[in-house]
Amino acid sequence: MARFHPLKVTEIRRETRDAVVVTLVPRDEDRALFDFIQGQYLTFRRDFDGEEVRRSYSICAGLDDGWLKVGIKRVDGGAFSTWANENLAPGDEIDAMPPMGRFHTELDPTAARHYLGFAGGSGITPVLSIIRTVLAREPKSQFTLVYANRQISSIMFREELEDIKNTYLGRFSVIHVLEQEGQEIDLFTGRIDAEKMEGLFAHWLDASAIDTAFICGPEPMMLAIAAALRAHGMTDDQIKFELFASSQPGRAKARAVSQAAVTPGSGVMATVTLDGTTRSFEMARDGQSILEAAIAAKMDAPYSCKAGVCSTCRCKVLKGEVEMAVNHALEDYEVRAGYVLSCQAHPVSDDVIVTYDE
Amino acid sequence: MSDTMNIEEYLAQGGVLTAPGNVPARYRGELMRLMSSFVDSELAASAGFADAINFAPGIKERIAASRITLEKADHAERVLNVMADFGTDVARYQTSHDWAARAARDADLGTARQAGDMRLSVFHYPVTGWADAVVMNVLQGLATGVQMTELTRVSYGPLAEVFRAIAPREARHAALGIEGLEKLGASDEVRAAAAYWRPRVAAGFGLAGSHRFATLLKFGLRHAPNEELLARWETLVGEHLAACGL
Repeated sequence: MARFHPLKVTEIRRETRDAVVVTLVPRDEDRALFDFIQGQYLTFRRDFDGEEVRRSYSICAGLDDGWLKVGIKRVDGGAFSTWANENLAPGDEIDAMPPMGRFHTELDPTAARHYLGFAGGSGITPVLSIIRTVLAREPKSQFTLVYANRQISSIMFREELEDIKNTYLGRFSVIHVLEQEGQEIDLFTGRIDAEKMEGLFAHWLDASAIDTAFICGPEPMMLAIAAALRAHGMTDDQIKFELFASSQPGRAKARAVSQAAVTPGSGVMATVTLDGTTRSFEMARDGQSILEAAIAAKMDAPYSCKAGVCSTCRCKVLKGEVEMAVNHALEDYEVRAGYVLSCQAHPVSDDVIVTYDE
Repeated sequence: MSDTMNIEEYLAQGGVLTAPGNVPARYRGELMRLMSSFVDSELAASAGFADAINFAPGIKERIAASRITLEKADHAERVLNVMADFGTDVARYQTSHDWAARAARDADLGTARQAGDMRLSVFHYPVTGWADAVVMNVLQGLATGVQMTELTRVSYGPLAEVFRAIAPREARHAALGIEGLEKLGASDEVRAAAAYWRPRVAAGFGLAGSHRFATLLKFGLRHAPNEELLARWETLVGEHLAACGL
């Protein structure tokens, strides 16, 4: 199971008004663990008022840059991103899991490919990692980036992208699409939607020349772009997606533990929610797991191994207390947040409320 | 571009999810179930086909059976690695069931899963000889081919990529079976095997009007209903068996 390791912050650069770029270095003994593939992300954890928050941010450095870098854009009400933007300082340490993610294609130094990237806002971070890497490692390949932002002042890495254009003359081009600012060419103003994509294909992009397209941004933009790429003949295996890290579910509140005394010998009142439907039933105090009780109550609860290994049957305890016989799949922080493996969970309190929907 | 949309809405419109972190709880449960069903079926198929290596009448057949045994285990491993991203203990998972265990030849399992083992029920039946193994592989291989048209477009991107890489090799397994069947010809033994395996493979398509299908469709984990996939398989089977004089 992936473990956290401390990374030292060596530099913080303010990139825009509400985004910072953080440079990080692993300990010498962790160096190999933090070798990354272009387009991967790091998952950080930090305690906020006794609650662990985990957030993932894409690495924006290229493979040959020699360091780890992530871009963190402040999200309204986001504990982690606000802290990173306002309090994080060089010299600080922050816990991170080794890089993960599959937003990349295999590099081939002899290839002469044409890549097309679409980035919305901070969705630029993994795409930048890919751009820097393929331009350096595939000397015959070229990259076209379509980059959507609200306005010029909110564009992350604007200067860096200009520098890349100059370093790799003729192999890299950027089309900036700005939602709120007029540009000389009308097509480049507004949001990227189906109509805008048709305009881009009519005048600026040749779908038949593209080998692979990378898309990272908010959901509506991803849908519009993917639909347009498919309509222009690109196949699913030519289109790589990375959904915004900010789409992650919010943090889990600590579980409520019932203080009621246990009456031995009687059954347990179980209340189970699945697919928005809640059912209450009495289950045996001993010898029956919450999963078995839910299935006996004709609920179609998900499970697979029934051995505490796979985590398919994960549910969340909202009230009451349960004990897990075996847990090989959930991490400590998930357990602290109230998640249990229902195949291994037996109630300890007189009543228990669980949900498979959270 | 900070305007996002509800994740259910996104999925309903054909959106792709890309990491465990952006997967809703119920989606996670169904995705894990789908993956474990595939992993368990591949491991059971590989274990079952291992016996067929020794049933093989010649070296070519022996190589074909070995290849299927090897690659099905490899496919299981690839999908299990996606499960690992969600917390599955991969080392323990591989040993959680006896993949070579089989029920009695005349058992009637219907479409039901057995205990915690999520393999399709067809993989609980024992293979009895070379002709039996070939026929089973043809029928199940064609079924896998049909299932792959669904699996290669599941809405969890990393898994869809794995299935797109696996699909051509699974198709090759079915093709090896068809070559073997053509060689065997339409004997009584082959006819008996076809009669035995046909309903058992068909059961793997699940029930018509499945309630779970609606959930999976909403999540983009399925697209065509069970009865449509079954009908496509029936057509394919009819064509291939007829071509072999069956």
